[in-house]
Amino acid sequence: MSSSTRYITSMGELSRKDNSLIFRNDKGHKYIPIEGVKVIYCLNEVSINSKLLDFLARNKIIVHFFNYYGYYSGTFYPKEAYISGKVTIAQVKKFEENRLEIAKAIVKGIGINIYEVLYHYYKHGYKELKPLLNWLNKETGIILNKLDNIKQVLYLEGSIWKRFYETFPIYLPEDFMFNKRVKRPPDNPMNALISFGNSMLYTKVISQLYKTHLNQGISYLHEPFESRFSLSLDISEVFKPVIVYKTIFELVNNKKIQVNKHFEKQLNYCLLNENGRKIFIENFEKRLESSFEHSKLKRKVTYNTAIKLEGYKLIKNLVEGEKFIPFNLKEKI
Amino acid sequence: MKINGTLINYYFHCKRQCWLCANRLNMEDESEEVRIGRVIHENMAMDNENSELNVENIKIDKITKEYLVEVKKSDADVQAVKWQVLLYLKILKEKGVERKGKIEFVEKNKQNSKTIYLELTQELEKELELLMEEIEDYIHKKNPSEVLNDKKCNKCSYYSYCYI
Repeated sequence: MSSSTRYITSMGELSRKDNSLIFRNDKGHKYIPIEGVKVIYCLNEVSINSKLLDFLARNKIIVHFFNYYGYYSGTFYPKEAYISGKVTIAQVKKFEENRLEIAKAIVKGIGINIYEVLYHYYKHGYKELKPLLNWLNKETGIILNKLDNIKQVLYLEGSIWKRFYETFPIYLPEDFMFNKRVKRPPDNPMNALISFGNSMLYTKVISQLYKTHLNQGISYLHEPFESRFSLSLDISEVFKPVIVYKTIFELVNNKKIQVNKHFEKQLNYCLLNENGRKIFIENFEKRLESSFEHSKLKRKVTYNTAIKLEGYKLIKNLVEGEKFIPFNLKEKI
Repeated sequence: MKINGTLINYYFHCKRQCWLCANRLNMEDESEEVRIGRVIHENMAMDNENSELNVENIKIDKITKEYLVEVKKSDADVQAVKWQVLLYLKILKEKGVERKGKIEFVEKNKQNSKTIYLELTQELEKELELLMEEIEDYIHKKNPSEVLNDKKCNKCSYYSYCYI
């Protein structure tokens, strides 16, 4: 786990103690040295006060809050460290003049990365995946080129995800089958995993884009201001297959997460329990912190850093007109 | 943006770096080199009361009766730091403070000496004025220069931005 990220999973109070952080609850207290900490996750009921927030802001620490049930509630985002008027103006200009260019690039990226994830299973004998692989490889690009409005692009994106979900019965255990993607609230274990994973990824993107000059409210695939950080939703998309789904498939197929042990099931919803969340986070972090040789930079970078690099690519497109090619799992760029 | 010491230094080191910095595209610095440089300045500021002086838009490391002193981690780009110091001398002179320049390198790799002395002559002052105009024009250009593709890029905090 990256040392710059801290998770608080139990109830308690987080406060400033001299020039450090302290977490207290009935079980005792624990100092958290502030040096090197960049992000804190509060995954349970945590009390805080404004003295703490001021201290966190001065140290440029981001805090993501999830409630007891694992729902993302929001982010404490210290005042912006990186601001460039030039980039903000370019972001708006791009949205008004050629929003489709970025939106299409993202949808293409989703398709490529899903292809790569599925190809792994195809190679391991799941030949039924062939038609979808062909469609992703040959047709989606052609269709995308012909589209001329955002609605059509979003529709194609929807179809790509839908067809991807439909492949789950092929390579996942039977108890993790699901009928369809249901978000709020998730109604079965697979939907619970996807929802929690996507929220976690979204917060990771927020933290990384914070280090760039991008205004997180101006987005291209999602409607801007759809949520406060809609650009983070955009950038999350191509990483979902790479980070979220690969983590889920591994946990489920290796029985590290089990339906009867790691979920809380009620009549109309299903959520990961505390232990389930812990297992997920541990593996999710491991994947984000694993590194690969970046084809262009000729350096080892972690997947987490690759998210920040997406921000740089977008800035380069906006400021210098370089083509925006989202993270590609196969090419490692 | 008013030309400051950093910008004039960058202009010689790498024009692209200068443009990006002037247009407020500062990168998250993960570079160890930058950290070391910052610590050197912090340590020096603690040792000496006359250090870290802010005059207009420039930051002066140290000023003595005779010299304006600029401290650098390494002598990797002597030309760049020379012009930086000349700019400081000029701004001080306009305030009625005349000094000579002294550059101290903590590490020397390329040169024989750890210290360089220089003076703001009339000729250099004229050259500096032209240079400032040139930089002013450059940073207002629509796009930055091409990537240098030089060995020194490896250590730059802009590396991942430039080479991505």
